[in-house]
Amino acid sequence: MGSIPVPRIFIPSLENQRQLKIKFKSPSISLIINMENQPQSHSKSTYDKIYKWLLIIPVGFLLFSLVYLVQFNSQNGDIIYKDVSITGGTTISVFDDKIDIEAVTKTLKSEFPDISIRGISDIRTGKQQGFILETKASPDSIKPALEDYLGYKLTQDNSSIEFSGASLSSGFYKQIRFAIIIAFVLMALVVLVIFRTVIPSFAVILSAFADIIMTITIVDILGITLSTAGIIAFLMLVGYSVDTDILLTTTLLKKKEGTLNERMLAAFKTGMTMTLTSIAAVTVSLIIIYNFSETLRQIFTILLIGLFLDMLNTWLTNASMLKWYMEVKNIK
Amino acid sequence: MKIGLRTWILIIALILSILAIKPSFDSGVLVKSVEKNSSIFNEGLRQGEIIKEINGQKITDIVSYSQTISETFQSSEIKRLDIKTNKNSYTIFTNETPRITVDKVPRTKIQTGLDLQGGARALVQPDAKISDAELQDLVDISRNRFNVFGLSDVQIRGASDLDGNKFMIVEVAGASPGDLEELVSKQGKFEAKIGNISVFEGGKKDIASVCRNDASCSGVTQCNPSPQGGYFCNFQFVIYLTEDAAIRHAEITKNVSLDETGQYLKDKLFLIVDDQEVDSLLVSASLRGQVTTQISIQGSGSGNTQEEAFNSAKESMNKLQTVLITGSLPYKLTIVKLDTISPLLGSQFTYLILLAGAASIIVVGLIVLIRYRKFKASAALLFTSFSELIIILGVAALINWNLDLPSIAGILATIGTGVDSQIVILDEAKTGKHTSIKERMKRALFVIITAYATNLVSLLPLYWAGAGLFRGFAFTTIIGITAGVFISRPAFAEMIRKTEE
Repeated sequence: MGSIPVPRIFIPSLENQRQLKIKFKSPSISLIINMENQPQSHSKSTYDKIYKWLLIIPVGFLLFSLVYLVQFNSQNGDIIYKDVSITGGTTISVFDDKIDIEAVTKTLKSEFPDISIRGISDIRTGKQQGFILETKASPDSIKPALEDYLGYKLTQDNSSIEFSGASLSSGFYKQIRFAIIIAFVLMALVVLVIFRTVIPSFAVILSAFADIIMTITIVDILGITLSTAGIIAFLMLVGYSVDTDILLTTTLLKKKEGTLNERMLAAFKTGMTMTLTSIAAVTVSLIIIYNFSETLRQIFTILLIGLFLDMLNTWLTNASMLKWYMEVKNIK
Repeated sequence: MKIGLRTWILIIALILSILAIKPSFDSGVLVKSVEKNSSIFNEGLRQGEIIKEINGQKITDIVSYSQTISETFQSSEIKRLDIKTNKNSYTIFTNETPRITVDKVPRTKIQTGLDLQGGARALVQPDAKISDAELQDLVDISRNRFNVFGLSDVQIRGASDLDGNKFMIVEVAGASPGDLEELVSKQGKFEAKIGNISVFEGGKKDIASVCRNDASCSGVTQCNPSPQGGYFCNFQFVIYLTEDAAIRHAEITKNVSLDETGQYLKDKLFLIVDDQEVDSLLVSASLRGQVTTQISIQGSGSGNTQEEAFNSAKESMNKLQTVLITGSLPYKLTIVKLDTISPLLGSQFTYLILLAGAASIIVVGLIVLIRYRKFKASAALLFTSFSELIIILGVAALINWNLDLPSIAGILATIGTGVDSQIVILDEAKTGKHTSIKERMKRALFVIITAYATNLVSLLPLYWAGAGLFRGFAFTTIIGITAGVFISRPAFAEMIRKTEE
């Protein structure tokens, strides 16, 4: 196993308040990020003047998101659009490259008003490979209707059929929602135990919370209908959104070299590289599977939105709160 | 450069993982199942062997296997069959194709889930609240039923969810039988009644044995054009009642009067499966009041062509025999989820996922190279990420974990966070050079372990939610981040420290 480094718990105390301030040349690296309006290492920089005001952006966004979601909830009965894997129903994928999707939709719409059909295509050629149909109806009723239209029997050689009963689906949905809440609570506890200071921990937890709430809002605004697998992406976000926050908090509270702003800048560079590599990887994967797997498309889309919002929440919400806290407590 | 202890640990983990994945380039066909007591079974051929040669002809894949077999058994003469596998040679004399099922030789030990390789999955819920032990009974009986029906590649397990609901999960890989739905959900309560009185039921208590696969007492007897168009075929097979059931039969028939013709009893013997009448039989007058253990069961199947009717009759017979042998399931069952996934797009899917993985790693590598301008460090980073991937796959192969779509999303995401952690290490190594590199690596590992702890706890609840159907994601991610924190990241930190020192 090798020796596992034991996490050392840092408690801000007097010994850390009188330190040498060593200025050192910022490393000669080519940053791929626009550094304007970002933490600078001057004694009273623009950042020092505006950082509290910067909080307005995420706070405004968060308030908007909360109001939006409350509104959304009262209109739609939940805070997301749910697909048939949550409400119960049938998904049929038919691998037929000659079918006119609009015509199928039109024909079946009269009998199954809630039906939705979209195409699947090959990423290499862009050619249609078939279509995916979703409806709340059971396979017993939709399958014969679709077979009538197509003129052939649906078998495993030409189609996939997924059916979920309504009570099971809504039960699973409730459980996953519960799992996300528990995941969040456990994450918050771990953060509290490790940092042992209320406000910095709260800043981490709040920015993770804001990240999830804002992502749900954007997903709703984009009109994305979520499946159970898509919801799991939010669980992934709970874990990933705190990574950069932990980096920031550790660098600011634990590191001793440099001024607060210098450490902030160092953390920012590291954190942005982390987020940008993740965004790049997720974007590439998203493009490749876009027309192929609904499940992976949802997961990657949600992660992508979450990663962008994570930049906002880490470097505005968390960074400003933490800097404010450290200035009030006079921790340098 | 000297390789440090932690790097060695990583290298060993990597080698063990590759051993677990066990890439194989064997040609031939894999024996998936061998029918018990068939001649080839008695010669010693067992599942898991790889057939290399039949009668001197090289077998490279399924196509060449079926070609060789069909060429050999063009006529119904008894032929000599020399089968050479990777383990042994077998010789049988037979006039029929060997009673085995074969599949292509898997390239690795990595198993993919239904959503990738195709197959069917049913989630079945009993209509009553049951205990864990009762669930296990249900699973055992169902497993037996599938075996008797002749489906060997079926996985059945019990599961429960956070609300305490109990489920039975039935999974069939690859092509699935069309009547899976019926097999899993039918309770299979067989009853034979005269009037309203139950004479005997399916299962061991009343039925001593059922004749099947023996042409002298079981089979499709005749096919005729049906007056309504199409064809219908009759089947017939003999069952043997237990002593108790036979005596009961005698007691009940004793009091039944004869019909007008005097040849049969007035009341018919009704065969009822799941409260639906399957057939009714006239009971010959000579059987009245007799303790008879041998009863002939009949039924029919229909279809548009004679062949269809024949197959339908054969299938009905098999189903009826199955419920007679296995007896009824203890509960009424409802299918609450049924997915049949076509294997059609599986290979394309695998290709796209590999493409996505490779493209992501290359893009990340480029970004890291541009950012740090250090070839060695970037190469070390890519090597570490790649090893993490291999270790996850190795563990998955080792414990026979099925990789489904959520698992794959989990793997990709794990690689992503792995890269994140390595960036923390790289940056710590680069900056703040007046503290020792060891100290800085420690600090980087603190960030990594904290992030690991939050990730780990946030995944745990998913393990129990939704009858474990989403476990794949939680599981692969947990393996990935754990291997990352304890094996690959310390190794990476060491590699960077060595290059810095």
